[in-house]
Amino acid sequence: MSTESEPAGVKRRDFLKVVGAAGATTALVGCGTSEVERLIPYLVSPDQTVPGVSTYYATTCRECAAACGVIAETRDGRAIKLEGNPAHPLNRGALCARGQSALQGLYNPDRFRGPMLRQPSGQLEPTTWEVALKLFASKVAAARGAGDAAFVNQHETGSFPAFLDQWLAGQGMPPHISYDAEADAAVIAANRQSYGVAWPRLDFGAAKLIVSFGADFLDTWGASVPQQLDFADARAKLADAPRFIYVGARRSLTGLNADDWIPAKAGSELAIVQALSGGDVTAAATASGVPAETLQRLAQEIAAARPSLLLAGTGGAGALELATAVNAFNQRAGNVGLTVKPADALLGFEHMAAQSSMRDLAERMKAGRVSVIMVRGANPVFTTPKSLGFAAAMRTVPFKVSFSSMPDETTALCDLILPDHHSLEQWGDAEPVAGTLSLQQPVMERVFATRATSDVLIAIARGDATSATGAPAYAGTDYRSWLVARFPGGAAALTAALPTGIVRGSVASPAATRSVAPRRQAAAPAAPASGDFSLVVYPSPVLGDGRGGNKPWLQELPDPVSKICWQSWVEVHPEAARRLGVEAGDLLTVETSSGSVTAPAFPYLGVRPDTVAISLGRGHTAYGRYASDIGVNPLDLLSPDEDAAGGLTMRSATARVRKAGGHVELVTTEGSARQHGRGIAQALLVTDLRGGGTQAPAEHAGDAAAAGEPASEHGGEHEYVGDASHAFLPGLRSPVAADAQGDLANPASKEKGMYDPQHWSGMAKRRWAMTIDLARCTGCSACMTACYAENNIPTVGAPWQGAKVLPDRTGAGANILRSREMTWIRLERYFEGAEHEDGHFDPDFESRFVPMLCQHCGNAPCEPVCPVYATYHAPDGLNVQVYNRCVGTRYCSNNCPYKVRYFNWFGYGEPARAQYAFPEPLHMQLNPDVTVRGKGVMEKCSFCVQRIRETEHLARLEDRPVAPDEFTVACAQACPSRAIVFGDAADPRWTVAQQVDDHRAYHVFEELNTFTAVVYLKKVTHPAPGQAPRAAGGAH
Amino acid sequence: MTKRRKWTTIPALLVVAIAATALSAYSGASSAEGRAPVQPIDFPHPVHVQKLGMNCLYCHYSANKSPDPGLPAVGTCMGCHTVIGPDRPAVAGAPARKSAELTKLVGYWNTKQPVPWVRIHKVPEYVHFPHMRHVKAGVTCQSCHGQIQSMQRVSQAASLNMGWCINCHVNGYQPAEGARAAGYPPTADQVAATPRKARYDCSSCHY
Repeated sequence: MSTESEPAGVKRRDFLKVVGAAGATTALVGCGTSEVERLIPYLVSPDQTVPGVSTYYATTCRECAAACGVIAETRDGRAIKLEGNPAHPLNRGALCARGQSALQGLYNPDRFRGPMLRQPSGQLEPTTWEVALKLFASKVAAARGAGDAAFVNQHETGSFPAFLDQWLAGQGMPPHISYDAEADAAVIAANRQSYGVAWPRLDFGAAKLIVSFGADFLDTWGASVPQQLDFADARAKLADAPRFIYVGARRSLTGLNADDWIPAKAGSELAIVQALSGGDVTAAATASGVPAETLQRLAQEIAAARPSLLLAGTGGAGALELATAVNAFNQRAGNVGLTVKPADALLGFEHMAAQSSMRDLAERMKAGRVSVIMVRGANPVFTTPKSLGFAAAMRTVPFKVSFSSMPDETTALCDLILPDHHSLEQWGDAEPVAGTLSLQQPVMERVFATRATSDVLIAIARGDATSATGAPAYAGTDYRSWLVARFPGGAAALTAALPTGIVRGSVASPAATRSVAPRRQAAAPAAPASGDFSLVVYPSPVLGDGRGGNKPWLQELPDPVSKICWQSWVEVHPEAARRLGVEAGDLLTVETSSGSVTAPAFPYLGVRPDTVAISLGRGHTAYGRYASDIGVNPLDLLSPDEDAAGGLTMRSATARVRKAGGHVELVTTEGSARQHGRGIAQALLVTDLRGGGTQAPAEHAGDAAAAGEPASEHGGEHEYVGDASHAFLPGLRSPVAADAQGDLANPASKEKGMYDPQHWSGMAKRRWAMTIDLARCTGCSACMTACYAENNIPTVGAPWQGAKVLPDRTGAGANILRSREMTWIRLERYFEGAEHEDGHFDPDFESRFVPMLCQHCGNAPCEPVCPVYATYHAPDGLNVQVYNRCVGTRYCSNNCPYKVRYFNWFGYGEPARAQYAFPEPLHMQLNPDVTVRGKGVMEKCSFCVQRIRETEHLARLEDRPVAPDEFTVACAQACPSRAIVFGDAADPRWTVAQQVDDHRAYHVFEELNTFTAVVYLKKVTHPAPGQAPRAAGGAH
Repeated sequence: MTKRRKWTTIPALLVVAIAATALSAYSGASSAEGRAPVQPIDFPHPVHVQKLGMNCLYCHYSANKSPDPGLPAVGTCMGCHTVIGPDRPAVAGAPARKSAELTKLVGYWNTKQPVPWVRIHKVPEYVHFPHMRHVKAGVTCQSCHGQIQSMQRVSQAASLNMGWCINCHVNGYQPAEGARAAGYPPTADQVAATPRKARYDCSSCHY
């Protein structure tokens, strides 16, 4: 090629040079080898751990007073998942959302990383343990024997309270106050009076009728996990299940699980119980606002049901009287021993101090009679009503020490912080039920430079030269040796008991119960002036008294009733909302003589039109980045009045409610509260149950084997009402399966490759499937948190995560307002009945809860629309999402009738992004078995494929087949209702294979021929005897 | 020869070139095959494996029971090297000498620092590679890691790309070939064995 013939332009050699250089540069950047990744070995290998394989430790949950047993899964030295301990007598393997979220307390990025000392400038600054302990020791020495020290401990059972009192006695200090703001002081006091125990076991299954007077036993009343297990077991008896009536001004989560709601005015429950016991029905009807005939019917039904179970709730001014009256009723009706079992008591609520002791403490502080206050775990500044003035009183105390490991409103006032280990990092024990010790052990090395408070106290006592003054001699230097010395059988027995975490025995010597007499009894609630509302304040089933607020999983978990997250709301009846001229999201100001709060209105059918309700849990000012400045604290509205047991009265205030002007969008995950005839959550009347049994008709038994047959035959033999065809045949109808072309994708091949059940891989022999029993599901949402924990699901609602989404919005939840939450399983809540155009009050409505997750359709609409084959059907029945193939077209989500696919909009899993959901050290919780998804990728429920593969690996290593029910998925494992069953539907030995043949079984949107692998079992409703079922209460 | 060059077409061509390179990188066609980074200690596999006959599982102790093959703790090294220290005696005519590498090892141990080895073999985060299944299936270490027993400095022997994985999963692993790679004469059974296939469903590895 001559240069002359070449037109003026680029020469080939020049071009190649340029391209070559550019290519080399790109290759260097692209292949990532320039980045050096280090492999850091152990210095010394720990015994009995295998890298990449989980180690499990049994310990005790300390998130509430109940003390459930948990198994902590640790991988390479980090706790990654908490599950219920199946051997534990209390929770029997289940665990609630709050318990599971303990991990986010452990790894909370806002935890104290070491001791802190308040400087003269007023700021808390880090200090060393040496300095901090020296200061603490000097203050203890100064206060020794003076008797004016106070120690407030988060209520717990086990050895620690006795240890603490022993230490305090040694220092000449009064015993500690075992405080729990969630305590149902009145119920506990009445139970002690009636039965001699704080909390008898309640046998829901033995009852023919359950009547709850505001006792929210599925929310926070008592030990919710064991109660939920028992309640779900009782309801699973279907035809023999007890009917459940809820009496109260607000339908809580527990109330929504009731068959009937009697909307009595707050505070009028006592009058009703008295009427039931032969009192004046007319007076009760007037007081409660309930028609007299309803009360008469209730009385008749209770009289006819033997045994029954009456439960008294919390909160009103007359709470003790109510609880006492209900206990007396149970005793008279012969329920004690049958449905109320004091002999089988739960001990978690013994020796609990009520609100009155905090009031007493505040008064003493105000009077200058407290020189040192020590607080561990509790947060009294937040959990007492502002009107009590605890914060102001505490400020007057010369020296304030906190052992909290998390900054909160109380530590904000303290002079010295000696951060305690998290409960997952320390030794301890609890006695949840009589005669059983639940052990607590560190499941991993401490995350931060914290020290166990027990060890600190021992160090102080041992380091004291003047211990002759009474500091008890501590043989060991740590709390563990103190525990071992007292443990029945000593160190060897403790070691032997640790694998199961429980041991027969008792810590005996319970601390003497100290009670402070209530001094200021609330007057009987004045009849609300016209236009005023009764105010109901209730502990959140998700956040409790507020202690859950620092955990993003719990902030993002929608409230089971309102479906609102990251926000406070005021529940107001639609009729009242109309009267006030507000719509959902319009700001309401609720004002009492003690204060006022402003929050958006949530029109809710389940609250009386003369009542507003606000949940506790939010409104923190100094509880870390996830809780602070989110929502309002309704305790600001309460007077410091106490009931006769010294408990806080949360339901006896009247409030003025007015439109505040302004509007915020409700951060809700709900689309519609109505099913609009879609038949998502189906129910069956108990009278329509066939024979009351759960077994399928015989003709169904053989169907499972007949793979490949058309599945939608209605068959004609299903004469019972409400039954849908539910032929559930293991097999695949996916276009992928039908078109599969052999192992090597040979277009000419007639083979189906791995989709052939006879294929050597055996994959198509299985059909992973799930059943969800709506007769059991209570809507508690523990499954959602389990899924977040297992599958590295990012929370998206923190304030900074939304800052770039809606620049004008400063609050939390902006991503959720745009429906960008990532929850792979959601809990849908639907209302049936009470559909009135005029919105008038009608308590006769039913709620239905449906966990909704990827249905793993056998004929999935999402699969054929994926242009890059990122979602497809695996031969074992999974609808698989391959993250690394996904290019984010979102066609699949568009085509999904169940709307269970979630798009990762902002790279929540990428540390460099502002939206990052796992700030250090939260990322230490991430499950190494599950990919942390990046930006622009679709994700969804995988049926915990990592657990399936792990089990297959294990079976293969042991040269055996996977055993029936050998494992389960995260949601099913956690479920405290045991509503979810997972397994291989193609193998009749698995429980799920039996369940899919249940005559209550149905598929959601069956008419779409999606052949889902998730099968729901219809809820069973129990209408009042002799009453016509509500119109909408039938099959749909 | 004209000196005038018209560069106007170059940017367009550059874009094409970069896009092609990026696409090939994205598709995983690029690989770190052959990479042999310098390690903080020049650990000689040949001495330990070939000369001393140590089993791979002595150090990589979880390769047969965990997805993670295991990396020897510094304590494991010191199990022998407490005795076989940096000061090497004169052997067979060679003069006594001080081993620089063992000096480094002892230095790490004495200062209680782990050895910051440079990672060579790595599959992306969205791939789950269970070592134990492969070991259980009889796949020899050399099948993937090459003649690692004779590598004075370890290099990546295979591309570790998906096509490389799938090749074995679909066509099957030849036990006889694996045995030969590991330096053993294949047994009659191995020679007679049909290639051992494995699942190649996406969800076997990607989740």
